[in-house]
Amino acid sequence: MKRILRDTCILSALMTLSVFVISIVWVGMTDEIKLVLELFILSFIISLGNYFLDEYTSLPMIGSYAVKYIAATGLVMLFGFIAGWFYRSNFWMAFIYVGIVIVLAYFIDAFKIKRDIDYINSGIKKKKG
Amino acid sequence: MRIEKRLVEGRPLTVIIEYPEWNESVESLVRKIGRMDISFVGKTEEGSVNIGISDVYYIENVERKLFIYTEGDVYRFDGSMSDIESRIEDTALVRISRTCIMNTDHLKEIKQIRNSHLEAVMDNDEKLIVSRKYLPDIKRIFKREGI
Repeated sequence: MKRILRDTCILSALMTLSVFVISIVWVGMTDEIKLVLELFILSFIISLGNYFLDEYTSLPMIGSYAVKYIAATGLVMLFGFIAGWFYRSNFWMAFIYVGIVIVLAYFIDAFKIKRDIDYINSGIKKKKG
Repeated sequence: MRIEKRLVEGRPLTVIIEYPEWNESVESLVRKIGRMDISFVGKTEEGSVNIGISDVYYIENVERKLFIYTEGDVYRFDGSMSDIESRIEDTALVRISRTCIMNTDHLKEIKQIRNSHLEAVMDNDEKLIVSRKYLPDIKRIFKREGI
Protein backbone atom coordinates (compact mmCIF):
# COMPACT_ATOMS: atom_id res chain seq x y z
CA MET A 1 0.00 0.00 0.00
CA LYS A 2 2.84 2.35 0.97
CA ARG A 3 4.54 1.71 -2.37
CA ILE A 4 1.29 2.34 -4.28
CA LEU A 5 0.78 5.64 -2.45
CA ARG A 6 4.39 6.71 -3.07
CA ASP A 7 4.19 5.74 -6.75
CA THR A 8 0.86 7.60 -7.05
CA CYS A 9 2.46 10.77 -5.67
CA ILE A 10 5.49 10.49 -7.99
CA LEU A 11 3.31 9.73 -11.00
CA SER A 12 0.92 12.61 -10.32
CA ALA A 13 3.88 15.00 -9.87
CA LEU A 14 5.35 13.84 -13.19
CA MET A 15 1.95 14.13 -14.92
CA THR A 16 1.45 17.64 -13.51
CA LEU A 17 4.90 18.71 -14.65
CA SER A 18 4.55 17.27 -18.15
CA VAL A 19 1.03 18.71 -18.64
CA PHE A 20 2.26 22.12 -17.44
CA VAL A 21 5.34 22.07 -19.68
CA ILE A 22 3.08 21.41 -22.68
CA SER A 23 0.68 24.18 -21.50
CA ILE A 24 3.57 26.65 -21.11
CA VAL A 25 4.68 25.90 -24.69
CA TRP A 26 1.08 26.09 -25.95
CA VAL A 27 -0.54 28.97 -24.02
CA GLY A 28 2.32 30.46 -22.01
CA MET A 29 2.68 30.88 -18.25
CA THR A 30 -0.56 31.29 -16.29
CA ASP A 31 -0.93 32.12 -12.58
CA GLU A 32 -2.01 28.54 -11.75
CA ILE A 33 1.01 27.02 -13.52
CA LYS A 34 3.31 29.53 -11.85
CA LEU A 35 1.93 28.64 -8.40
CA VAL A 36 2.41 24.89 -8.92
CA LEU A 37 5.96 25.38 -10.26
CA GLU A 38 6.76 27.57 -7.25
CA LEU A 39 5.46 24.82 -4.97
CA PHE A 40 7.74 22.32 -6.73
CA ILE A 41 10.76 24.59 -6.23
CA LEU A 42 9.86 25.17 -2.57
CA SER A 43 9.41 21.41 -2.01
CA PHE A 44 12.83 20.80 -3.53
CA ILE A 45 14.48 23.40 -1.25
CA ILE A 46 12.72 21.99 1.86
CA SER A 47 13.64 18.40 0.92
CA LEU A 48 17.26 19.46 0.45
CA GLY A 49 17.29 21.14 3.87
CA ASN A 50 15.61 18.10 5.41
CA TYR A 51 18.26 15.81 3.90
CA PHE A 52 21.15 17.86 5.31
CA LEU A 53 19.49 18.10 8.74
CA ASP A 54 19.04 14.31 8.86
CA GLU A 55 22.56 13.67 7.56
CA TYR A 56 24.56 16.08 9.69
CA THR A 57 22.67 16.42 12.96
CA SER A 58 21.79 13.83 15.57
CA LEU A 59 19.14 15.71 17.49
CA PRO A 60 16.43 13.96 19.48
CA MET A 61 13.28 13.40 17.44
CA ILE A 62 11.30 16.29 18.97
CA GLY A 63 14.30 18.62 18.66
CA SER A 64 14.84 17.58 15.07
CA TYR A 65 11.19 18.26 14.19
CA ALA A 66 11.29 21.60 16.04
CA VAL A 67 14.32 22.66 13.98
CA LYS A 68 12.61 21.43 10.80
CA TYR A 69 9.45 23.35 11.72
CA ILE A 70 11.35 26.60 12.23
CA ALA A 71 13.49 26.09 9.10
CA ALA A 72 10.56 25.09 6.89
CA THR A 73 8.36 27.94 8.16
CA GLY A 74 11.20 30.41 7.54
CA LEU A 75 11.66 29.07 4.01
CA VAL A 76 7.92 29.14 3.27
CA MET A 77 7.67 32.74 4.55
CA LEU A 78 10.72 33.88 2.63
CA PHE A 79 9.64 32.10 -0.52
CA GLY A 80 6.04 33.29 -0.03
CA PHE A 81 7.13 36.93 0.23
CA ILE A 82 9.32 36.64 -2.88
CA ALA A 83 6.56 34.85 -4.82
CA GLY A 84 3.87 37.18 -3.46
CA TRP A 85 1.84 34.46 -1.74
CA PHE A 86 1.18 36.41 1.43
CA TYR A 87 -0.18 39.80 2.31
CA ARG A 88 1.82 41.53 5.03
CA SER A 89 -1.06 40.91 7.42
CA ASN A 90 -1.39 37.15 7.02
CA PHE A 91 2.20 35.91 6.79
CA TRP A 92 1.70 34.07 10.12
CA MET A 93 -0.48 31.58 8.20
CA ALA A 94 2.81 29.92 7.18
CA PHE A 95 3.17 28.70 10.80
CA ILE A 96 -0.20 26.93 10.51
CA TYR A 97 0.41 25.45 7.04
CA VAL A 98 3.82 24.09 7.99
CA GLY A 99 2.68 23.12 11.50
CA ILE A 100 -0.04 20.81 10.19
CA VAL A 101 2.41 19.05 7.84
CA ILE A 102 5.09 18.76 10.54
CA VAL A 103 2.71 17.34 13.17
CA LEU A 104 1.43 14.74 10.70
CA ALA A 105 4.99 13.85 9.64
CA TYR A 106 6.08 13.57 13.29
CA PHE A 107 3.35 11.09 14.19
CA ILE A 108 3.87 9.02 11.03
CA ASP A 109 7.63 8.96 11.71
CA ALA A 110 7.15 8.00 15.39
CA PHE A 111 4.79 5.18 14.38
CA LYS A 112 7.22 3.91 11.71
CA ILE A 113 10.17 3.96 14.13
CA LYS A 114 8.22 2.01 16.75
CA ARG A 115 7.15 -0.55 14.12
CA ASP A 116 10.72 -0.91 12.76
CA ILE A 117 12.17 -1.38 16.26
CA ASP A 118 9.58 -4.07 17.05
CA TYR A 119 10.33 -5.83 13.75
CA ILE A 120 14.11 -5.77 14.33
CA ASN A 121 13.84 -6.94 17.96
CA SER A 122 11.52 -9.79 17.06
CA GLY A 123 13.94 -10.68 14.21
CA ILE A 124 16.83 -10.82 16.70
CA LYS A 125 14.79 -13.06 19.02
CA LYS A 126 13.95 -15.47 16.18
CA LYS A 127 17.53 -15.48 14.91
CA LYS A 128 19.03 -16.22 18.30
CA GLY A 129 16.34 -18.68 19.26
CA MET B 1 18.57 -28.94 -1.45
CA ARG B 2 20.59 -31.47 0.52
CA ILE B 3 23.07 -30.28 3.13
CA GLU B 4 25.96 -32.54 4.09
CA LYS B 5 28.50 -31.76 6.77
CA ARG B 6 31.62 -33.69 7.59
CA LEU B 7 34.54 -33.15 9.91
CA VAL B 8 37.90 -33.14 8.15
CA GLU B 9 40.70 -32.39 10.54
CA GLY B 10 43.79 -30.46 9.53
CA ARG B 11 42.20 -28.79 6.53
CA PRO B 12 40.75 -25.32 6.14
CA LEU B 13 36.97 -24.88 6.09
CA THR B 14 35.85 -25.99 2.62
CA VAL B 15 32.42 -25.58 1.07
CA ILE B 16 31.62 -27.61 -2.02
CA ILE B 17 28.50 -26.74 -3.98
CA GLU B 18 27.13 -29.32 -6.41
CA TYR B 19 24.49 -28.07 -8.80
CA PRO B 20 22.52 -29.60 -11.66
CA GLU B 21 22.64 -26.31 -13.57
CA TRP B 22 24.10 -22.86 -12.92
CA ASN B 23 21.24 -20.48 -12.14
CA GLU B 24 20.48 -17.38 -10.09
CA SER B 25 19.93 -19.29 -6.83
CA VAL B 26 23.29 -21.04 -7.13
CA GLU B 27 25.01 -17.78 -8.00
CA SER B 28 23.38 -16.06 -4.99
CA LEU B 29 24.42 -18.94 -2.71
CA VAL B 30 28.03 -18.77 -3.93
CA ARG B 31 28.02 -15.00 -3.46
CA LYS B 32 26.64 -15.31 0.09
CA ILE B 33 29.22 -17.91 1.11
CA GLY B 34 31.95 -15.81 -0.49
CA ARG B 35 30.86 -12.80 1.57
CA MET B 36 31.20 -14.83 4.77
CA ASP B 37 34.89 -15.11 3.98
CA ILE B 38 35.48 -11.36 3.96
CA SER B 39 38.16 -10.21 6.34
CA PHE B 40 39.80 -6.94 7.28
CA VAL B 41 43.41 -6.27 8.16
CA GLY B 42 43.44 -4.61 11.56
CA LYS B 43 46.51 -3.01 13.05
CA THR B 44 47.68 -3.04 16.63
CA GLU B 45 50.88 -1.96 18.37
CA GLU B 46 52.22 -5.50 17.83
CA GLY B 47 51.45 -5.73 14.12
CA SER B 48 48.68 -6.69 11.70
CA VAL B 49 45.84 -9.10 12.38
CA ASN B 50 43.30 -10.65 10.01
CA ILE B 51 39.80 -10.06 11.37
CA GLY B 52 36.99 -12.21 9.97
CA ILE B 53 33.75 -10.40 9.23
CA SER B 54 31.90 -12.55 11.77
CA ASP B 55 34.25 -11.33 14.53
CA VAL B 56 33.54 -7.68 13.83
CA TYR B 57 31.07 -6.06 16.24
CA TYR B 58 31.24 -2.60 14.78
CA ILE B 59 33.47 -0.23 12.84
CA GLU B 60 33.72 3.38 13.91
CA ASN B 61 35.17 6.49 12.38
CA VAL B 62 36.78 8.60 15.09
CA GLU B 63 38.36 11.83 13.89
CA ARG B 64 38.86 10.44 10.38
CA LYS B 65 40.50 7.28 11.68
CA LEU B 66 38.76 3.93 11.41
CA PHE B 67 38.65 1.44 14.24
CA ILE B 68 37.35 -2.11 14.14
CA TYR B 69 35.81 -3.36 17.36
CA THR B 70 35.52 -7.07 18.09
CA GLU B 71 34.08 -8.61 21.26
CA GLY B 72 36.92 -7.35 23.42
CA ASP B 73 39.55 -5.76 21.17
CA VAL B 74 40.03 -2.66 19.06
CA TYR B 75 42.08 -2.50 15.86
CA ARG B 76 43.08 0.39 13.66
CA PHE B 77 42.02 0.02 10.00
CA ASP B 78 43.67 1.79 7.08
CA GLY B 79 40.90 2.63 4.67
CA SER B 80 37.75 4.66 4.36
CA MET B 81 34.11 4.08 5.27
CA SER B 82 33.31 3.86 1.56
CA ASP B 83 35.99 1.13 1.10
CA ILE B 84 34.27 -0.87 3.82
CA GLU B 85 30.77 -0.17 2.53
CA SER B 86 31.71 -1.45 -0.91
CA ARG B 87 32.81 -4.77 0.64
CA ILE B 88 29.94 -5.37 3.04
CA GLU B 89 27.07 -5.40 0.56
CA ASP B 90 24.77 -8.40 1.26
CA THR B 91 26.43 -9.08 4.61
CA ALA B 92 25.11 -8.55 8.15
CA LEU B 93 27.07 -5.30 8.46
CA VAL B 94 25.09 -2.10 8.05
CA ARG B 95 25.68 1.60 8.52
CA ILE B 96 23.85 2.91 11.59
CA SER B 97 25.09 6.48 11.66
CA ARG B 98 27.40 8.76 9.74
CA THR B 99 30.37 7.37 11.65
CA CYS B 100 29.46 3.80 12.52
CA ILE B 101 28.87 0.44 10.82
CA MET B 102 27.39 -2.34 12.96
CA ASN B 103 27.31 -6.12 12.61
CA THR B 104 23.66 -7.15 13.09
CA ASP B 105 24.79 -10.71 13.90
CA HIS B 106 26.02 -9.36 17.25
CA LEU B 107 23.04 -7.12 17.89
CA LYS B 108 21.15 -7.92 21.08
CA GLU B 109 18.46 -5.25 21.00
CA ILE B 110 17.44 -1.85 19.65
CA LYS B 111 16.00 0.54 22.21
CA GLN B 112 14.38 3.92 22.04
CA ILE B 113 15.91 5.86 24.89
CA ARG B 114 14.87 9.21 26.33
CA ASN B 115 14.73 12.13 23.90
CA SER B 116 13.73 9.56 21.26
CA HIS B 117 17.35 8.66 20.55
CA LEU B 118 17.91 5.11 19.34
CA GLU B 119 20.43 2.81 20.92
CA ALA B 120 21.77 -0.54 19.74
CA VAL B 121 22.84 -2.91 22.50
CA MET B 122 25.46 -5.40 21.32
CA ASP B 123 26.04 -8.94 22.59
CA ASN B 124 28.95 -7.69 24.71
CA ASP B 125 26.61 -5.02 26.18
CA GLU B 126 28.32 -2.15 24.36
CA LYS B 127 25.86 0.55 23.34
CA LEU B 128 25.88 2.36 20.00
CA ILE B 129 23.84 5.35 18.90
CA VAL B 130 21.65 4.58 15.88
CA SER B 131 20.53 7.36 13.59
CA ARG B 132 16.80 7.20 12.80
CA LYS B 133 17.65 7.61 9.14
CA TYR B 134 19.41 4.23 9.02
CA LEU B 135 16.77 2.23 10.90
CA PRO B 136 15.06 1.02 7.67
CA ASP B 137 18.47 -0.30 6.46
CA ILE B 138 18.80 -2.44 9.60
CA LYS B 139 15.24 -3.69 9.14
CA ARG B 140 16.05 -4.57 5.51
CA ILE B 141 18.80 -6.95 6.68
CA PHE B 142 16.37 -8.92 8.83
CA LYS B 143 13.82 -8.89 6.00
CA ARG B 144 16.44 -10.16 3.55
CA GLU B 145 17.35 -12.98 5.89
CA GLY B 146 13.66 -13.91 5.96
CA ILE B 147 13.39 -13.43 9.68
